[in-house]
Amino acid sequence: MAVTLKYPFVKIEAPPEYRGVPHINPRLCIGCGACVNACPADALLRIDDYEKGTRKIVLDVGRCIRCARCDEACPTGAIRMTRNFEVATLDRKDHVEVVELRLHRCPNCGSYTDYTERALEKALQILPEGLFDGDEIRKRAILCRNCRRKLTVDDAVEASREVVE
Amino acid sequence: MRLRSLYVFHLDTGACNGCEIELFDILTPYYDAERLGVRLAASPRHAHAMAATGPLTRQAYYAAKEAIKAMPPKPRIIVAIGTCACSGGIFYNGYPIYRRPESGREGQEYPRRGGIFELVQDLRDEGEYVGPVVYIPGCPPRPEEILYGVALALGLVEKQVKGEYYTEEVGFELPEYPIEERIRLSLRERLKYVVGYFDREKVLEDFMGLVAKAKSAEELHGLIQGYCLKNPDPRVSLAMRVLKREFLRLKEKYGWEVKGSAEALQGEVRGLQVSADGDAGPR
Repeated sequence: MAVTLKYPFVKIEAPPEYRGVPHINPRLCIGCGACVNACPADALLRIDDYEKGTRKIVLDVGRCIRCARCDEACPTGAIRMTRNFEVATLDRKDHVEVVELRLHRCPNCGSYTDYTERALEKALQILPEGLFDGDEIRKRAILCRNCRRKLTVDDAVEASREVVE
Repeated sequence: MRLRSLYVFHLDTGACNGCEIELFDILTPYYDAERLGVRLAASPRHAHAMAATGPLTRQAYYAAKEAIKAMPPKPRIIVAIGTCACSGGIFYNGYPIYRRPESGREGQEYPRRGGIFELVQDLRDEGEYVGPVVYIPGCPPRPEEILYGVALALGLVEKQVKGEYYTEEVGFELPEYPIEERIRLSLRERLKYVVGYFDREKVLEDFMGLVAKAKSAEELHGLIQGYCLKNPDPRVSLAMRVLKREFLRLKEKYGWEVKGSAEALQGEVRGLQVSADGDAGPR
């Protein structure tokens, strides 16, 4: 009786629980960098370019130890473990997956913020309706840090003036 | 060049022994790498290829260098088995790991540097011939992966991966769920203490389906009872009960609109705290 697996000549599938290489779904990724913080082996990178206004999320499968922490951390389910294991190659560049996203631009001062347009959209989706009065928070959320701080101080000064008068 | 059979010398450059265990598995009758012509050689002088495992420690560096130099001048294939040999793996910034001076430890370069390639690069700089390097990532790679890598080196199979570069042009979608996004994320966080990553999304999806069907807290209670009776896995039942408790608690705490009467909900929450307190969790 032949016991030997005919593997490289026939297709086989890994069991459903098998942790193969992770894969980023670029349609869901918001570029928040939660996976980068979670990755213990630094297989994931976040590279910001404030000149061009882009953020790159880089996944190097050749560094990945398949611990699935990125899968746990991802708020949108963009990065997922797959069952794919046939990733041997002669060129390390084949292991790299890059998602390049646009950074959000502050409408007030025109500088790039440290979050992406998609992350802002996601944050506005999480934001509950009617928790804050009016659209004040939505007005502030789209600003960069410095402009937001300035707006808050200006508002406070104006409010105190009203009180004095 | 189509290789017919490959004599492989195995060298451990500081691995945790996981990759070795998988490497010896491919010589068992079940996987049987010898049918591809792969045999382990006892000395690098007899070997066409070197199966290197481990992140290349500074101690192992000199031995590995001597071993590669002792191999016949051609083909000198290097088979990097495991994530460590490919790029340093989890040990990438450990103090005993050899790195070339120009490949930093905290850099933003990609593909990530480290592993056996540092030595190959050193040897190539010295003018030694070193053949192609086959990278087989995995921590450890399963025996099929190693077989696939060896078959790739022998030219029996085609390469299946390709580097990807996505930009904004692929489009963006923000999925909508039956419950509010903030509650979904809170439930997801809570669920991390109860079920592993593998079942989590499915359990949460099922729960959201039940919430979408239920019109009141009592109805949700009944639906979850039914679900738990149908599902024989006690871990999933526990996760569902924990989810329901957390869901109702969140709804109550933040005063968001709650379906069903307030008294019924109170009794519900109290009863659940008694029944589902078996779960461990810091909250």
